[in-house]
Amino acid sequence: MVKGSKNKFLDFLQFLVILLTAVFILVPIYWIVSGAFKQQVDIFQLKLLFTPTLENFEIIFRSPYNLFDKLVNSTLVALSTILIAIPIATMAAYSFSRFRMKGERLMFVTILATQFVPAVVIVLPFFVLFRDLGILDTRLALVLVNLSLVMPFAIWMIKGFIDSIPLDSEEAALVDGSSRFQVILNVTLPMALPGVITAGIFCFILAWNEFLFAVIITTNKAVTLPVGLSLFHAEEGVLWHLISAAGIMIMLPMFVLATIIQKHFVQGITMGAVR
Amino acid sequence: MASVTLKNITKSWGDITAVNNISLNIQDNEFLVLLGPSGCGKTTTMRMIAGLEEPSEGDIYIGEKRVNDELPKDRDVAMVFQNYGLYPHMSVYENIRYPLKVRKVPKLQHEDLVRKTAGKVEIENLLNRRPRELSGGQRQRVALARAIVRAPTVFLMDEPLSNLDAKLRVSMRAELKHLQHELRITTIYVTHDQIEAMTLAHRVAVMDKGIISQLDVPEKIYNDPVNLFVAGFIGSPPMNLLKGVLKEGIFKHSNFSVGVGFGECQEAILGVRPEDLELTGPDNTDCYGRVYSFEFTGESTLVTVKLDDDRLTIRGPKEYRVSIDEIVGVRINRDKCYLFDAVSQNRITNY
Repeated sequence: MVKGSKNKFLDFLQFLVILLTAVFILVPIYWIVSGAFKQQVDIFQLKLLFTPTLENFEIIFRSPYNLFDKLVNSTLVALSTILIAIPIATMAAYSFSRFRMKGERLMFVTILATQFVPAVVIVLPFFVLFRDLGILDTRLALVLVNLSLVMPFAIWMIKGFIDSIPLDSEEAALVDGSSRFQVILNVTLPMALPGVITAGIFCFILAWNEFLFAVIITTNKAVTLPVGLSLFHAEEGVLWHLISAAGIMIMLPMFVLATIIQKHFVQGITMGAVR
Repeated sequence: MASVTLKNITKSWGDITAVNNISLNIQDNEFLVLLGPSGCGKTTTMRMIAGLEEPSEGDIYIGEKRVNDELPKDRDVAMVFQNYGLYPHMSVYENIRYPLKVRKVPKLQHEDLVRKTAGKVEIENLLNRRPRELSGGQRQRVALARAIVRAPTVFLMDEPLSNLDAKLRVSMRAELKHLQHELRITTIYVTHDQIEAMTLAHRVAVMDKGIISQLDVPEKIYNDPVNLFVAGFIGSPPMNLLKGVLKEGIFKHSNFSVGVGFGECQEAILGVRPEDLELTGPDNTDCYGRVYSFEFTGESTLVTVKLDDDRLTIRGPKEYRVSIDEIVGVRINRDKCYLFDAVSQNRITNY
């Protein structure tokens, strides 16, 4: 009996903690979602009942905000980044995982160490570099910056997955008649796919949400969604209802992506955790 | 079909020498077993033949061709791995077909070859399954099928039966032997299981600490071990090894003496197999001692007798019964005694 009531108390405690965490995470999202459908007059009122409107979404896609251009920029930049980063990172990770070479450890640590440099420190050199190259305010510049941000992370993550794949199958493929490239393509990659997809998603999220570099090296043509959010100012102050609507446009692709690939995502995470 | 020749092969990683200057010639169609305890260099030797490790020194020939600089795919060997090394994301059919695919065998032949090979190892009904849906024995058959589907010149097997249960191991052993006889492919087989080695091999190379201790037919390895290591490694239960002094052809143990007719050695070891000892009454015999343990194995009995600090295992008839602590006599078959020099570990012979 005593044990039973103790268990019940623990169950309740567990429920409470989960509930609090959920509230903590969900309230801001609720605030944004509700804000996106409110009219400007309702935005600072905490009432739960209001007349919803889709007007905000119309406004943000019209001039002067032109959110669609920013959406295109963000999509192109994030997609190009992972399309370039993931194949290269996979090959680099494979080399780090499978080949022993001189100075390998140092190289790997150096690659990781680039992640410890605060972004603010290197944003100015990037600005000067891109200005001299004449690619300021272009998507190319953003892709280059994002590559430097996500690549070390992707290499490190994919290496973890490849490390956990036993060598036997690869060696069997070598003896069976494959070249090293065929081994990677036919054996390693299919087995590491959950990990590679996981890394891809993380990198996509990093690139999609990147703000600091984008705000400094873009001004007009190549502006991305997160930077676009800062445009919603007017004489009457911050336009929270428009920011909320634009915020949803930023979150929505992430939600869709996460839902579609959740299966791989979870499998990828647990697969990495085995070792 | 080809012979395999190793000439002065050495493999070392820094200070560690896994394989130390071994030379070996495996003839065409031969079934050679590399036998030894873990860490003796047998798997490394096989991996060098496959091309998965590079020898630090020496040459490897397959047929007439030196293959040191050839990639594994160009050596035309097939290998079965201890953990099978199957491709988990492919069906059994695709697993077996893979070597044909990457070696550009015409597509029209694939299906026929795969089905024929699967039939040979009795897995025709599993072709659509994934490796994870198979038992250990079935996985091993898939690995075998994948290795033989393209008729390689040399067949390498790295402890292929060690992950199977005891009963399956015995039946797979027989199948392997039959398969090798049928396919007539030069086979190199690595194992630490001496029964596998004795039953499968045409010749056995017993390896210890990176060198080949003895290379001979199984019968000779068992009946004529060249040194203490081979004598102690081969046989189950292992050979009894007793320390003593050998003087004027008489071996003197602290408990008994036995005339062997030859030899002179201050620190000698007498080796005698359990089946070459006979249990008698305590009187009028070579030595006697207290029974330490008695085991009934079905086809025979094993009696361990304490002789001062040593224990002697004797294989008795299956009807034999004795109680622990009883005093029994042991007669030693003088023709089946082996003598070794405890210092050099080498066999002392009169020939």
